[in-house]
Amino acid sequence: MSKKHEVPEVDIVIDEEAGVIREVKPEKTRSKKGHERRVNTSIYVILILMSIIWLAPFFFLVFQSFRSYATESGGMVDYLLPKQWSLDNYKWLLESQESNFLRWYGNTLIIAIFSAAIQTIMVLSVSYALSRLRFRGRKLIMNVVLVLGMFPGFLTMITLYFLLKQLGLTQTGAIPGLILIYVASSGMGYYISKGFFDTIPKSLDESARIDGATRFQVFKKIIMPLAKPIVIYTILMAFMAPWGDYVFASYVAFGSEPNYNVAVGLYRWVNVADYQGYFTRFCAGGVLVAVPITALFLALQKYYVEGVTGGAVKG
Amino acid sequence: MKKLFSLMLACIMLLSLCSFAMADGYSGELKIWVAEAVVDFTQQQVEAFKALHPEYADMTVVIQPVGEGDAATNMITDVEAGADLFAFAQDQLSRLVAAGAVEEVEPSNAEVVKAENDPGSVGAVMMGDTMYAYPMTSDNGYFLYYDKSVVTDPSTLEQILADCEAAGKSFYMEINSGWYQTAFFFGAGCELTFDSNDEGQLIGMNASYASEEGVKALKAMIDLHKSPAFVNGSSISNATNIGAIVDGTWDATAAKEVFGDNYATAKLPTVAGFQMGGFGGFKMLGVKPQTDDDKLAACDALAAYLTSEEVQLARYNAVGWGPSNLNAQKNEAVQADEALSALAEQLAFCAPQGQYPNDYWSLATALGDDVIGGKLDDADDAALLEVLKGFEATCEGYLSK
Amino acid sequence: MTDLEYLKLSKPAKMGYKTRKFFAALPKKLVGVCKKLGQGIIHAGAGFIRGCKDTVQTFRTGDWKTKLSFLVMGFGSFARGQWGRGLLFFLFQTVFNIFMFMPNAQFSGCYYLGKLSTLGTVETYKEGRRTVYGDNSFFILLYGVLTLFFIVAFIYTWYVNVKQNRLSEMILKSGHKLKSTKEDVSALMDSQFHKTLLALPTLGVTIFTILPILFMILVAFTNFDATHQPPSKLFTWVGWDNFRQLLSTDTSSYGNTFSQVLLWTLIWAFFATFLNYFLGMLVAIMINKKGIKLKKMWRTILVMTIAIPQFVSLLYVSKMFAADGLINSYLMKWGWISSPLPFWTNPTWARVTVIVINVWIGIPYLMLIATGILMNIPADLYESARIDGANAFQMYKKITLPYMLFVTGPYLLTSFTGNINNFNVIFLLSQGKPLSLELSGNAGYTDLLITWLYKMTVNDTNYKLAAVMGILVFVVTAVINLIVYNMIPSVKNEEDFQ
Repeated sequence: MSKKHEVPEVDIVIDEEAGVIREVKPEKTRSKKGHERRVNTSIYVILILMSIIWLAPFFFLVFQSFRSYATESGGMVDYLLPKQWSLDNYKWLLESQESNFLRWYGNTLIIAIFSAAIQTIMVLSVSYALSRLRFRGRKLIMNVVLVLGMFPGFLTMITLYFLLKQLGLTQTGAIPGLILIYVASSGMGYYISKGFFDTIPKSLDESARIDGATRFQVFKKIIMPLAKPIVIYTILMAFMAPWGDYVFASYVAFGSEPNYNVAVGLYRWVNVADYQGYFTRFCAGGVLVAVPITALFLALQKYYVEGVTGGAVKG
Repeated sequence: MKKLFSLMLACIMLLSLCSFAMADGYSGELKIWVAEAVVDFTQQQVEAFKALHPEYADMTVVIQPVGEGDAATNMITDVEAGADLFAFAQDQLSRLVAAGAVEEVEPSNAEVVKAENDPGSVGAVMMGDTMYAYPMTSDNGYFLYYDKSVVTDPSTLEQILADCEAAGKSFYMEINSGWYQTAFFFGAGCELTFDSNDEGQLIGMNASYASEEGVKALKAMIDLHKSPAFVNGSSISNATNIGAIVDGTWDATAAKEVFGDNYATAKLPTVAGFQMGGFGGFKMLGVKPQTDDDKLAACDALAAYLTSEEVQLARYNAVGWGPSNLNAQKNEAVQADEALSALAEQLAFCAPQGQYPNDYWSLATALGDDVIGGKLDDADDAALLEVLKGFEATCEGYLSK
Repeated sequence: MTDLEYLKLSKPAKMGYKTRKFFAALPKKLVGVCKKLGQGIIHAGAGFIRGCKDTVQTFRTGDWKTKLSFLVMGFGSFARGQWGRGLLFFLFQTVFNIFMFMPNAQFSGCYYLGKLSTLGTVETYKEGRRTVYGDNSFFILLYGVLTLFFIVAFIYTWYVNVKQNRLSEMILKSGHKLKSTKEDVSALMDSQFHKTLLALPTLGVTIFTILPILFMILVAFTNFDATHQPPSKLFTWVGWDNFRQLLSTDTSSYGNTFSQVLLWTLIWAFFATFLNYFLGMLVAIMINKKGIKLKKMWRTILVMTIAIPQFVSLLYVSKMFAADGLINSYLMKWGWISSPLPFWTNPTWARVTVIVINVWIGIPYLMLIATGILMNIPADLYESARIDGANAFQMYKKITLPYMLFVTGPYLLTSFTGNINNFNVIFLLSQGKPLSLELSGNAGYTDLLITWLYKMTVNDTNYKLAAVMGILVFVVTAVINLIVYNMIPSVKNEEDFQ
């Protein structure tokens, strides 16, 4: 709001029935402003309380990650701040011979990069085709995808495992195997970017077509440059997903520890009884995973918001 | 006559040794799954085995850390990708046999196992009359670790709870586990065992949970849950405020760390006037069914070696796991071990763990969760008896038809 | 009821009337859906018959090139100079023949097809101590289904090949030229661009989604479980037995448990969707209110729960709420409680706890969505409302809420079905616990159908029941979708958005 045109907000009231502009009594304005201030104060209180609730677990996690497993206690404790701050957990994760953490981290990074790249191509192809091109079977494809989407994801886990195994992509081959699985059916997640393509005016394509451009050229030269937000959104989502996948990653890689992803590796430290005193190392590992992902996410937040709002509105 | 017999026996042994030595050996890959804690130990022992048996010197052995809990599930999911030798706790045996994921023990090895290991562990590796695994430890039981400065007298549960409450500390016991729960039921005098056949099926049940003793045990569990000091759990490094904990030998190191100078162990206490009992369980080593005779021979030999007297003793020295081998049990160091002797004291009140249907464990968790969730807090004896009757009936439903 | 009578009704009565009317119309709607389905089938059948007739006709009237194409696919195209198409057809036929009639029986399609009716008969046996594996029911079923796929694809391709000949003949007769291979290739970047775009995704979805789903649907009719586990044991067809075990209510079956878990799944999905929806909207309104500073900071703080991988945050939060976790420990240290609060042990507490923690995860999403939409609401709407003397709540009720509901209707639907399958939150927080003797089959009070399905697959390797469960989840989701799709007009016509 620019200062120049600022009009006192509620000082006047247009009374349509009477056809006159009435001035509101000054006392009322003041009380209203007081009311406004009270409302804002309570909103601030609520927001501050919420921020505490939202951030507390992450701060706790960070605190615990600085409690040394070697000199204090690596397990769970009933106090928050470490008695002595130390980097032992991080050192162990990054330097110890016993730790596979860097390996897992690298695995996950590879999976994330490849699946982000290929998945983006798949999703964009499908959504562009379904949004801009008209061909026989288009409706059928959309309906089939809708129906397939209603089956729960883990139903087919055992089948996928054995399909991958036939290709030699389980256990030691788990990393390419996981990429394949993440990517293969990713075209089904076309909704959001199709919704985006739908909003680009069709006249753009048509005028280019009249100028003699092929559909591929239209896709490459006209649509893609406009689709930057949705491309970034798709890449972001595809890149983030593998970091949190425990269920399928553990199913495909079982037994072969060097081929775990971070989620599988770290999850075991909390939930498998063989790992006594690994809790603080889990926390440190969690921090190391969360920090870059969070930073990336916050940096690209804008595109994420565009994606989810677009998706929500388009359905 | 006796001489002749022993001569014959010696001949046979010599012959079998010869045939052993003449075996082709095996030079392919062999995969082993053991718990994280013994990966390095197993690696060393495999090297020792290779040095002892030159015909297997070229064999590549891969050791992967797969916990005893996961091993069976993974073996069943995909036996081909599973390990050739895998360690597991005995509650998994019936599942593994039923799914065809574990090979019978080689007959001559079976004779040796029977002769050299304690009877409980031998019973634990049998399904019907067939032996399916090599006993590795005989320490899968539980007892009490406690903090000397908190608990004044570990002989009754009531006193332990009172001490913990007074000190603001917690008493940990995983009463929603079918394994720890039997401390109450078996201690009160109930029975729950299953009869198995050679195919890994459970065909009969002997149960007396739905009885006066059963009600007594269940009431003791409910009383325990009502104490503000009680926390359900058995993992020492996940426990935050321990006064005392019912746990096994595998957590001995962690317990020493947590309790420091106040570390102490004891058999389980008495509760409501009866001595708590429970399971004496075992860890064992299984061999995967093999399509190659040479590989199978290699597996047999290595499994026998890894569960032999020397290796069991070495394993005790390395990680503190109590041996199932009778000679190893007599070893001085083993005899002197504080945790193991508390366990031994407790095992006197325990039944060796036999075969249980897989569903039993989740049913017992359900019973424990009902207790912990407070569902049975106000139930009278008749209602508790009904609960136990239902429990028994459901167990019976798990039998193979 | 006339319009006037309707208008006279009180609000709850109106609601009741509408609901009754909706359910009264439901059978009709279902009949409508079935009719449409029936029409579709008839349509497809008619198409099939037409195709057959055309094929016969083509054979009768076609020249020798066309006739030979019935046997050797792509021959006609070759002979008419379209070697690119011809080569593709021919290659496909060759691959198909090799696959079906491979000399090594273990790998040929015919072998698996032949065994499909029994799923294998040769048991695993011992030769000495060596194990000789028999038939593998799993692969027989999997490759059997794959072979069927291949055969259908072959028949279709063969039909296209015949049709191609007919069209080519017609084009040539009319004096036009056929497309050269070069033209065919460049068409893939232009008029046939959709084929280029969709080829790979379709292949991926067919092999890694459709094939596995069909496979699992078939597994629901077998006895594939822990005691019938290939390669050591065979499994075979058992008809509807598994459905009976999961749905019937006698003591050894899971019917009662299933209905309880289903009910909780729906309750959970309801709260997870609508609680998050309204709270998220509320938070968005608060942050966007005029006069609130640092808008970006508040948003960024809340968004942290989206950014941090859930297996870190939820696992940690789950431990925080444990009986001896941080929350209970501190409450006890401060003397507020004397014994731990049963967050994860009491069924009701556990259910409420997962819903509340899910709010922690869910509010930020909705806040972001709502922020975007709120900004789009024309400001003059509020202005005039304010002038009419409406207070904040009235404006919310009359403007914000209807607008939001209108715009996000489809989102609510997808979010509801998404929450039915919200695996992560339950799995990482409570793992379905607590269990109870009142529930059977390892299900707990916070288990959703999907987490129960996971337990059956991974912990119990009870694939047959997991498959049935998967089918039932599909049915539930489909029914909800059908009902809601019929209620929200805006999702029906996707072209409207363009």
